[in-house]
Order: sequence, then C-alpha cells, then structure tokens
Amino acid sequence: MSGVLTLGSLDPALAAATRVKGEPVVLDLRSVKFVEPAGICGLAALLEFLIPRSEEVSVALSGRDVPAYLERMNFFQLFGDRVKTNVDVASLEERQRHNPGTLQELVNFHTEVEIPGVVTRISEILENRGYRLRERVAICSTLSEICANAAEHGASEDGFGAFAAVQAYNHIVSGARRRGEEVLVAIADGGVGIRETLSQNEKYAEHTTTDNDALRCAMMMGVSGTGELGRGGGLALVAQISGRAGGSLSLRSGAGRVTAYHDRKNSRTVPEFPGTFVRVSLPRKLETPPQEGP
Amino acid sequence: MISLNTVRIDSVAEAPAVFEVAGGDFGGKLMVTRGTGRAVREALAEALEALPKGGVLYVDTRGVELMDYSFADEALGVLVSRVAGGEYGERYLVLIEEDRDLLENVEASLRQRSLAITRVDEVGGEPSIVGDLPSHLADTLRAIMDAGSITNADLAKKLDLNHTACNNRATRLSKLGLIHRKIETAAPGGRQYSYERIA
Repeated sequence: MSGVLTLGSLDPALAAATRVKGEPVVLDLRSVKFVEPAGICGLAALLEFLIPRSEEVSVALSGRDVPAYLERMNFFQLFGDRVKTNVDVASLEERQRHNPGTLQELVNFHTEVEIPGVVTRISEILENRGYRLRERVAICSTLSEICANAAEHGASEDGFGAFAAVQAYNHIVSGARRRGEEVLVAIADGGVGIRETLSQNEKYAEHTTTDNDALRCAMMMGVSGTGELGRGGGLALVAQISGRAGGSLSLRSGAGRVTAYHDRKNSRTVPEFPGTFVRVSLPRKLETPPQEGP
Repeated sequence: MISLNTVRIDSVAEAPAVFEVAGGDFGGKLMVTRGTGRAVREALAEALEALPKGGVLYVDTRGVELMDYSFADEALGVLVSRVAGGEYGERYLVLIEEDRDLLENVEASLRQRSLAITRVDEVGGEPSIVGDLPSHLADTLRAIMDAGSITNADLAKKLDLNHTACNNRATRLSKLGLIHRKIETAAPGGRQYSYERIA
C-alpha cells in the first residue's frame, strides 16, 4: 500500500480480496499517510466484501493522523465493531471532531430518499465557506447524480448499498501542482456494475465487450440500461461539469477504469472487483489577484 | 400524496395560474433526484388538469437554486412529453425562469426527448424556447409569437410558404404545446386556421 489511500492504491488489496476463502485477513494500511474520499469509500466497499467472506478482518494503521482522520470521517462508527484494529479508537473519539474541509463524512445509504438531505447539508456548508452559487450547484448536482445512480444500480448481494464521502481541500490534490482548491466527491457501491447494467440494453451490445468499453459508453448522453427516453443524462453531465472545471470523472467497475478529462479519456485494466466506484475532482479556480502596476 | 394546499396557484379570473416550484413541500431551493421530480410532476399535473381548456400553467422555478438532471427530466421532461402526447388536452405549460445555468439541465432533458417548452422571465415577458426545436419550426414559432395571433394564410405569406406546408408546421407546434391552434369559419362556407402564442 502506497502513502496515499486512493482508488488506485487499493487495487492490489481488491485483487487479493477476491481470493479470500474464509481465512482471517489483515489489511495493512500502515504506510498510508493521506486518505482521500475515493480511498475511504473504496476501503468501505472492500471491507463490506471481506467481512462476510473472512473469519476475521483486521485493519492495521500507524501514526496518529490517519486514524484520527478516519475517526472524524465516521469510519470507526461504521466499521469499529466489525473489524479488528490496532488503533485505540476510544482515545480518538475524545479529540475534537471539527474538520473544516469535510463536506460529507463517510455515509452509507441505500435509497434515493436519503440523497436530498445529504445534498442540502453540503450546500449549507459550502455556502458558509463562501462558495459561489455556481460552484455549489456543480458540487451538489455531481453528488446527487452519482448517488442516485448508486442507489438505483447499487443493490448488492452483500446488501450494503453504497458509500459516499466528500472533502474540500485548500490546495490541488489531483494532477499537476498548481494554484487553487479542490473538492473530491466519491461513491462506491456493491451492485452488478456498469457493464452488466448496460448489457440489459441490446442497443449497446457492441459497447459492452469489455468493462472499459462499457464505462466509456456510460459517459455518453442518453445511454442507460433501460433505454427509457430521458434516462442516462446524469453521468454525461457530471463529466461535462468536472471537465469544464478542469477536473475529472473517474469510473471503476468490473475490470475497467476510465477517467474523463475535458479533452480526453484514459482507460486502464484493473483487477476485477464487484461494484462501481466513482471519483469526481472539481478544482476551484481562485480569483486572480489584481496585477500590480509597472 | 401531495396536497394542492402546499402549492400556490393563483386561479383568480384573468390572472395566470402560477405554480411556484420552490414554494411547495418538495425540497425548497434544492431540487434533486427523480423521486422529488416525480412528486413535483404529480402536483404540476394536478394543477394542469384543474385548468379550463386552453389554459396555461406557468411553472415558476426562479426560487430554485439547484435542479439536477434527474429532477429536471422527471419533473419537466416527462410532463412536457405528456403535454406533447395530448394527455392534458389543450392545456399548456410555460416556464418562468431567467436565462441562467439552471436551465442547462432542463435543456438537456428536453433535447434528449426532442421537445421544447416556452420560457419567459416573468408573466407577460418576452417568450423564448428551451429545448430542441428544428430551425424551420423555430422560425415559424417566432413569426407567430411576433404576431400574437395570425391566420394560416397570413402566416404562409409572411414565411413565403404554401398553405399546406405552413399548416403542417403550425400543427406540429400546436402538438408540442407551444401555440394555440384554432379553426375559424371563413366565408363563404370555408374554414381557416389561426394560431395564437400561449405566452
């Protein structure tokens, strides 16, 4: 495990998890120094997969910052009694819970009805932090669309529904070092995945040969499993919103991972794992300071 | 069950029927998810059905800060599609909204459905169109809007079209719920069509 817990750094663990046949498992996260929302959502989905398949799941952490962050993100509240850990959670709980950048702690949801409450809360936090209406709309509509997809398609065998987390950073986290702020939105569900969903629609037979083909297709306007008119617009608009902001939309499902930027899409093959993982990066351009005179 | 008491509908004679989307119990300023969209659509449909034939329901979304695609498609996309399908008879929808980002999702939904809705900044304001309308129909609609009310013969002349082509275009606009189309008796013993803007 590398120093950053993100979706990509979980790949080896996701690959190993599919080979577990009842034996105890230790998830060694001791080298992790930084956790981003896609990492915590991915970790939650991984644990939901492992817990029913393993005699005992342990999570090993080191230092104080990462366990404290996970505690603030409600990780131990959701998993504390289901996994073993080397962390003294009680001591972390005594710490101040304030975390100004957290827009949404790790939250587990099952239905669409839960989404407006989450979106309303985030919108209020963003407003208090001075985000303009346009920026709030971009973040909130991104979250509501991908949460709705997860609620609709994420019904899982393990029955955990979906996880979401949102974090604002006062620096750019993704890609090249540059001036600005960034909001990361992440969702993970344990559903059948995008390729199987799109396979229900014969129209997309040619686009569902591989997971990456299906992921690229799912980002296009009007593409949906049901083929019902008006469906399949949410993800395409999220790709547009993130692309326009100079950010990206990343989908991981099955053995595919596609990241869409404003001018290109990158695909790569990843270890096969059930469910769908979404990561959206929304950079926030800071106002250019007035130029000084000559 | 949505009660109409939660919706401000002004149906005083001569005054337009206005449905304030942010004024009900649906989600205030933040309109997200298909479920919320469905609730708003059902309330809109009820208000639309309560109108007399030829009536116009103004859907005022100006108090809404955020409308995601799913909401826009479920509340407005589906409803406009039903109006165009003739489900509500000769009853029309007009959107009251300023030209702002919020329209993007309404536009995307209606384009997906090859439909359009009339939009005004306020009741009585200059109408424009949100959604997908082929340019020849947009030109025809603009000519009807400019005239307020016009016969098929005059419209055909204005657009330099034969009467049948002109009537076909106006029939399409009428089916899309974008104009009123009336049959009038014309002497001697004939009949002629006339068209009226709805907002």
